[in-house]
Amino acid sequence: MITDETAVADAKSFETEEFFVNMGPQHPSTHGVLYLELKMDGEVVVECRMHLGYLHRSIEKIAENRTYTQFIPFTDRLDYLASMNNNLAYVLTVEKLLGTEVPERAQYIRVIMAELNRVASHLIAIGTFAQDLGAFGTPLLYCFRERERIVDIFDEVCGNRLTYNYIRVGGVQDDLTPGMDRKIKDLIQYLRPKIEDLDALLTRNAIFLARTRGIGILPKEMAVNYGVTGPNLRGSGVRWDLRKDEPYLVYDKFQFDIPAARNGDAWDRYRVRMEEMRQSLRIVEQAIEGLPEGQAAVKGKRAVLKPPAGEAYVRTENPRGELGFYIVSDGTTMPYRTKIRAPSFSNLAVIPEIAKGLKIADLVCVLGSFDMVMGEVDR
Amino acid sequence: MMNYIASILVGAWSLVKGLRVTIGNMCRRAVTVQYPRQKLEMEERYRGLVDLRREDCIMCLQCAKTCPTGCLSITVKTGEDKKRVLETFTYNMEYCCFCGFCEQVCPKSAIRMSKIYEVTAYDRNRLKIDLLKEGKYDEWANPPTE
Amino acid sequence: MATLLDLIIMLVVGGIILGFIAGSAMFVIWLERKVSAHIQSRLGPMRVGWHGWLQSVADAIKLLLKEDIRPKGVDTWVWWAAPFFATVPSVMAFICIPFGKPFEIRGLQIPVIAPDGLRIPMIVSDLNVGILYILSVTSVCVLGIFMAGWGSNNKYSLLGGFRSGAQIVSYEVPLVLSVITVVMYVGSLSMQTIVEAQGDWYGLKWFVLRPNLALAFIVYLIAATAETNRTPFDIPEAESELVAGFHTEYSGMKFAMFFVAEYTNVFIVSAVAATLFLGGWQGPPIFQFILGYDLPFMPVFWFLLKVYFVIFLLMWFRWTFPRVRVDQLTGFAWKVLTPVSFANLAFTGWWLLR
Repeated sequence: MITDETAVADAKSFETEEFFVNMGPQHPSTHGVLYLELKMDGEVVVECRMHLGYLHRSIEKIAENRTYTQFIPFTDRLDYLASMNNNLAYVLTVEKLLGTEVPERAQYIRVIMAELNRVASHLIAIGTFAQDLGAFGTPLLYCFRERERIVDIFDEVCGNRLTYNYIRVGGVQDDLTPGMDRKIKDLIQYLRPKIEDLDALLTRNAIFLARTRGIGILPKEMAVNYGVTGPNLRGSGVRWDLRKDEPYLVYDKFQFDIPAARNGDAWDRYRVRMEEMRQSLRIVEQAIEGLPEGQAAVKGKRAVLKPPAGEAYVRTENPRGELGFYIVSDGTTMPYRTKIRAPSFSNLAVIPEIAKGLKIADLVCVLGSFDMVMGEVDR
Repeated sequence: MMNYIASILVGAWSLVKGLRVTIGNMCRRAVTVQYPRQKLEMEERYRGLVDLRREDCIMCLQCAKTCPTGCLSITVKTGEDKKRVLETFTYNMEYCCFCGFCEQVCPKSAIRMSKIYEVTAYDRNRLKIDLLKEGKYDEWANPPTE
Repeated sequence: MATLLDLIIMLVVGGIILGFIAGSAMFVIWLERKVSAHIQSRLGPMRVGWHGWLQSVADAIKLLLKEDIRPKGVDTWVWWAAPFFATVPSVMAFICIPFGKPFEIRGLQIPVIAPDGLRIPMIVSDLNVGILYILSVTSVCVLGIFMAGWGSNNKYSLLGGFRSGAQIVSYEVPLVLSVITVVMYVGSLSMQTIVEAQGDWYGLKWFVLRPNLALAFIVYLIAATAETNRTPFDIPEAESELVAGFHTEYSGMKFAMFFVAEYTNVFIVSAVAATLFLGGWQGPPIFQFILGYDLPFMPVFWFLLKVYFVIFLLMWFRWTFPRVRVDQLTGFAWKVLTPVSFANLAFTGWWLLR
């Protein structure tokens, strides 16, 4: 017979405890070696502690023992999915220290390469995001197929497929091969319908919406306070993009829009990335049309760079946010200090705040939507 | 009530759109290459392993100085007739980051990046290559196709 | 009244069907890999045999040769029996699947057993509660999954087992309701009767062409995807969640049994879909026009074609959609599919009584 006393006693003996789960450094869903220590109550995350540093390679220390030109291959390996943009940020900083002029053709080529690399990087972000949600490989393989076409262009122009080492102080490594502008135009024609295909496959898909809408909302104030930049910030409603607000290279000559979304959930961040890909293709198209003649390559200039003593900080818009290089020079061939402001590092800081109250499946979704590359977090 | 039915229909149509994309892809050709049996040709500017043409080398040592990782070790000997002769030229493949600086800085284009990318070894010492030897890349230039 | 002839025919056909199950599971596994590969713009297995059709054989040999690991602390009887509880009910359900039209070999008269000519029913036993038998027997598979989850000494497997059990139980309701909608048209639960009620070969009487039964077909397909633990409902086997689910602790042949059980289940639900909605073994008798009489295995051919078409549909769903979250899964079953199938049932009832 169930009396009130027995019911109360039963409720008390039904204690639940919180337990710790390690979403350890090696896990299929944390992009790279990120260690999350989760305190969970059943299926819901109560607290999340992050441990970084599993990919630390002392790149900033290495910079103190390499000349300015020798350091460029190391910047490739920071955010290895967007090598051109890393090279660009570093080289712009060195050029600011030196005060060199860059020929206009080189600037246009730099813009083309940076924007194509943005498309390639966003393709991987979207592909791995869909893979984490359980779409077992099909969106991922489509994204990699499109990325292979872009990477073929890079292969032809500089010789490598992942770490390009292409953008140099004073220009680029080698000029575009003859016939390359035709290839880039064909590539843009090829990519546009494929992006629409990806859109049809994922964006309004009922299951995808149910998994990502309303998950991992990042409020606007929190995003600005924590220093979140890039598509994550624009997904929360702040329309801030360094290409429009503090233009560098020749971005002020092109017409393009900055997408931003209102709610700040995972779906919004995903949609911002999709739209950014389309805008990047628009920029590449305009750049290829308006490519001026002239000198672009720096082959043959072998002087070792010796900038005057001083410091410079230049920030550019990486696919993941604002990448900044702060270089202090003491007048010798090697910098005194190189500090890298990595976008994913600041973006990650928000995750323990957002993770409270999410289920594990949703946490996986949020990590995927933030698009972090541990190479630049840990440097 | 109408919202409920409308949301079901909209959801179902979105799923059908996704199915159309997939079936379209199924009916097109595959883009992959059956790797060991079929291989792709690398581009002209491809940066593979470093290769040296001894007769063009003027021993300026610029490549060794420019390498960011220090993978090239060169020693030069002065012979009896006061002419400089290249004694050893070791390339440590483990440290090479395939950046292409050595190729760009060489005034005579003696050092170049080949198109070899399939490199494996069971022993670390095999990765330290003497670039002056004939046939240094034989085993890797023609990898097995099975 | 079962005669000796009936018993012998049952045993022979049953033996053939067992062999067919083994071969079919291997074929479906190969088909899955090829379909998924072509959807993803790649080629799939290409080495072992022409376009890799022997790949399943190679995988089976590999699984046979694997070490059978028994984790410490498992509940022995439960852990050991779980693969059987998952596989055997699926095989039992094959008794009632109508593979073809019953045909007679008139000229053949065997003295004691078949004095009037040999009549071969292309089904092991046409029970008059056929579809009910299939549905009830396949429900026993849930037991196997629960036992696997409990028996492995692993809290994540247990969670996987629970989730799978909840999923299968909640999707049973729309499945059975959509089957009832069809049975209301036929008036009998026997599988051969359901096929014959779908008319002649010109396909105009197939049940899928009626709108309310087309809706039942869609509901049935969705419920069938959930019953067999396939994406978008493959939470129990989800790999990017914590661990691999209820069959983590199994290796070698036991894992192979779970694997075969999954694909046999896929075959069963597709065979039921083909029988109930797509007309079963009805198909154009091509050879009628050439030879004057139809070859006996043509209905079998049409049946298998339809079954593999439905299997292809299930695979197409798997490689297109992302996974649904656990609470959304059960929410979808109870809040969308069940009301829709109830409404469909009510409408069909009203329509038939009109």
